[in-house]
Amino acid sequence: MKRTFSNRFWAALLAAAFLLCAGAALLLWRTPGARTVARITVDGRVVREIDLTAVTAEASFTVQTPGGVNTVTVRPGGICVSEADCPDHVCVKQGWLEGGAVPIVCLPHRLVISLVSGGDGDAPDAVSG
Amino acid sequence: MCLLALCLPAAARADDSRTFFAMDTVMTVTVPGGSEALLSACEDEVRRLEALFSVTDESSEIARLNAEGRAVLSDETAALLGGALDAAALTDGALDVTLYPVVRAWGFTTGDYRVPDDGELAALLALVGWQQVTLEDGEASLPPGVMVDLGSVAKGFASDRLAALLRGSGVTSALIDLGGNIYCLGAKRNGSAWRIGVRDPDGSGEYIGVVAVTDKAVVTSGSYERFFVAKDGTVYGHIFDPATGRPAESGIVSATVIGPCGFQCDALTTALYVMGLERAEALLETLEGVDALLVDAEGELWATGGLRETFTPMGAYSAAAIHWIR
Repeated sequence: MKRTFSNRFWAALLAAAFLLCAGAALLLWRTPGARTVARITVDGRVVREIDLTAVTAEASFTVQTPGGVNTVTVRPGGICVSEADCPDHVCVKQGWLEGGAVPIVCLPHRLVISLVSGGDGDAPDAVSG
Repeated sequence: MCLLALCLPAAARADDSRTFFAMDTVMTVTVPGGSEALLSACEDEVRRLEALFSVTDESSEIARLNAEGRAVLSDETAALLGGALDAAALTDGALDVTLYPVVRAWGFTTGDYRVPDDGELAALLALVGWQQVTLEDGEASLPPGVMVDLGSVAKGFASDRLAALLRGSGVTSALIDLGGNIYCLGAKRNGSAWRIGVRDPDGSGEYIGVVAVTDKAVVTSGSYERFFVAKDGTVYGHIFDPATGRPAESGIVSATVIGPCGFQCDALTTALYVMGLERAEALLETLEGVDALLVDAEGELWATGGLRETFTPMGAYSAAAIHWIR
């Protein structure tokens, strides 16, 4: 009797270990495809999308809005507004966006930078336009 | 754990890609298994071409041509300008690289947007016309006041150059994204076709569908990318009609061209956007080897037959009826 219990115990343990491994494998399977994409909109329209996981070095560019100019800087995994000619500079003070759901907003220029999840199985390899 | 490691897919890693900013846009070159040196070579090539073609960089060949009315051009610049003039002839002037004085007056080169009045536009339109450009034996000349801007075709041309550079280095699979100007080299490493989304012209960031391609460029033109809103609320897009000197309002709000040559696709998307449906259909009837997908102002899709097997409409367009052109 004691022996049978022991077999069952080990079988259960093995099954649990297998399930754990399978779960971990699933997680790991998804991870390499998971991208962090920054979406920049002006007046609600997407003007640029940048795959932050593909950024290897810090770089800056300007976004012209009807209200003025924002200088956007990206680095691996992060994005910020580094300069702006808006009156309040709230967007610059928000600093780096490197995760989380709170977007960078420049109200005077109607510019919003948010992170969107990429890399799901149906996502295209690139977007034309 | 060994089993786990075997389960890991050979997905593209971030270090297979290089993102950089050039030609006033964001570019990403992805070469699965490619080296840092190869990605650097791609970036360097784009920057080299930008230094030749840029209309704002005073030392570029095009800026010198505009300033002096005459310039000896490098092989690359001569090829691009020559190709652009051929495309202008093919599209009956719908693509015109001499629009620069007009585009500048509207403020699209500086961000100081304004609406020029009719008198100013009429005067500027006298300076517009691709037939005024002379290109012989690598030397270009322009009448006084006429200026050339290759911005509408430079990215497509650059994508062809990068594809050639990568092929020459033995690369059989790569994805070149020059600011939404896509060139798919070969297929993905697993043998399946690249899946390229076509951006929804409503500016939502969604796409109207996905096209499956190998060894082809996919280029889309739409005015959602650059525009300004005037004081009276009118939205002005950045694609100009050479006939009017005003942002094109042809009834086409997005034009995508898929074909083996990035330059040709780039030139044709702009032209189709400007031409409107009727002229676009007539031109597409005569072109072989390229496919096109057009969205009109009512949100209807128009496509050439080559897309029957390769284009899958999605999202708001998943149930849309497609009008087949040929």
